[in-house]
Amino acid sequence: MDGVAVTAFFQTLVQGLLTGGLYALIGTGLSLIFGVMKIINFAHGDFLAIGMFITLALFKAFNLDPYLSLLVAAPLGFGLGYVIQRFVLARLGDRLGEGSLLATLGLGLIISNTLLLGFGAQPQSINVPYAINTFKFGGVQVSVSLLIAGIGTVLAISALNLVLYRTELGRAIRATAQNPLGAELQGVKTANIQAIVFGLGVSFAAIAGVLLMPLLYTFPTVGENYVTKAFIVTVLGGLGNLPGAVVGGLVLGVIESMGAFYISNNYRDAYGLIVFLLVLLLRPEGLFGKTVKRV
Amino acid sequence: MTAVTPTTTSRPRALTFGNVWLSVILVAILFIYPFVFGKTLNFGISTLLFAGFAMSWNILGGWAGQTSLGHAALLGIGAYAMTLLATPERLPPFLSSPLAPWWGALVGMVIAVAVAAVWGWLTFRLQGSYFALSTIAVALVIRLIAINSNWTGGAEGLFMPDLPRPFGLDLFDRNVEYWLAFAFVVLTLVITHFIRRSRMGYALQAVREDEDGARALGIDPARMKLLAFMLSAALMALGGSLYALYLQAFEPHTILELPLSIQIALLAIIGGRTTIQGPLIGALVLSIFGEVFRNVFSSANLLIYGVLILLVTLFAPNGIMGLFQRAGSKLGTAR
Repeated sequence: MDGVAVTAFFQTLVQGLLTGGLYALIGTGLSLIFGVMKIINFAHGDFLAIGMFITLALFKAFNLDPYLSLLVAAPLGFGLGYVIQRFVLARLGDRLGEGSLLATLGLGLIISNTLLLGFGAQPQSINVPYAINTFKFGGVQVSVSLLIAGIGTVLAISALNLVLYRTELGRAIRATAQNPLGAELQGVKTANIQAIVFGLGVSFAAIAGVLLMPLLYTFPTVGENYVTKAFIVTVLGGLGNLPGAVVGGLVLGVIESMGAFYISNNYRDAYGLIVFLLVLLLRPEGLFGKTVKRV
Repeated sequence: MTAVTPTTTSRPRALTFGNVWLSVILVAILFIYPFVFGKTLNFGISTLLFAGFAMSWNILGGWAGQTSLGHAALLGIGAYAMTLLATPERLPPFLSSPLAPWWGALVGMVIAVAVAAVWGWLTFRLQGSYFALSTIAVALVIRLIAINSNWTGGAEGLFMPDLPRPFGLDLFDRNVEYWLAFAFVVLTLVITHFIRRSRMGYALQAVREDEDGARALGIDPARMKLLAFMLSAALMALGGSLYALYLQAFEPHTILELPLSIQIALLAIIGGRTTIQGPLIGALVLSIFGEVFRNVFSSANLLIYGVLILLVTLFAPNGIMGLFQRAGSKLGTAR
């Protein structure tokens, strides 16, 4: 391989890893919710869209730096998730399995169509001067916003891990995930924990939306593209497996980026989907998970 | 392992009989429609087509209980096959009769059945939400192929060419299209009625209620689900061909996207997926709602779907038909 080819390879790899980091962030929220409640949140992409539109609205209204929107989007996402779990999903009771699919689909439609009413269907973006800047390591170019997104992803996932493994709340969450009845008997208020977890999951989707906003256009149904990525990531890593979601995200990012560069850019989305289907069919416990009982 | 609950398998005969009459009444209403509302045929055609889609979906989604979120792909196969083969040059000369457009519909059905067979064979080992996820992925792959291939017209899609007039019928005439859509709905309705009373229908319901229990009774769940999927696919593709006639021009974006798949599934679920007429009623009710709210919400017409599906999931798990039945049985006991 000559120098140009090597640089191109590393360029593709870095691009893939950074995009994959964002996928990991989206997938972590989904996987967390699945891990505790055993439901797949079909509105996850729409929560991401909410994060993007909060950023857009604040930028338009106050010229607020997109990354400062995190201070609004993260808590707002948490609150929204908490309320939805408390007042919608918790009411499904023993119909949670089938009911959550429909309820979250319905919530997703409500969110995307409300955004459509509020902001119109036109794709919109924000213009921050540093968004077009790039870093250069050797020959490899990386856009500043993608780098910030990557750092944000690492920070958010580390913070979640600190909460899960170093705090009393984290113990309660892990207990609820493992055995809700047992946790309840030990005095854990599992209804509250589930609402907190759903809030955290939504909050992660919203954070991902904020980090994506300087990089992309947004439109009300933008979540659709990302919700499939989130599904792929979580299935690759094993549903409910948080470190798996991170690795799954990186793998998906690299597969897409490499496939787009070396095979065909037109089928960029197909590589992930095909890997997804293969993993779903051959190893439903995920690429990296140890064999767990089938759900 | 729990036994199949007797309430779902042994329905009082009178109720089943009433079910047939409900279908007859609905068909009669649809029959009268063009004579009364001749000016709003577009609304009628799209409502009928979506009713047919929802009932076709329901053979797999309701009777077999497998929530597919990828059925738009099968509809798309029908639409593409019809449009591509409506061009006489693409057919061998002996088939270029006035029946030409319908060969395409037939080919579409065959392809859809084949796709469903492979698709189901691959994915039926997955349960619940996992199955739904896999259908999204398969449908997205089919969509990507349509967008990136030349013969499908790529992202621009296809135009329906000038069509021959079988028996002097202009297939672009809205009246003709209404009766075609009407025939599609009646066909789907008759087939679902037929299934309901057949061995296959009982087997499918047993599989839906309890797969292990069904297996213990000697039913092969995988085979039953596959049969349901193939039948559902054939009807979806037929409906897709009619949809292509109605649209005259379409692109992958309108005919293969996830929201269309979701919309079809939700029509059936909101109407009542465990009943025969539920999907039909769901489509009628939601079309009327959609029309009423169109001025209010303009393009955000799926908002009403979102609100309704949430309400139905929370308060009426058996859909609109479930509400009717509950009201009916309350009346029955009061008397």
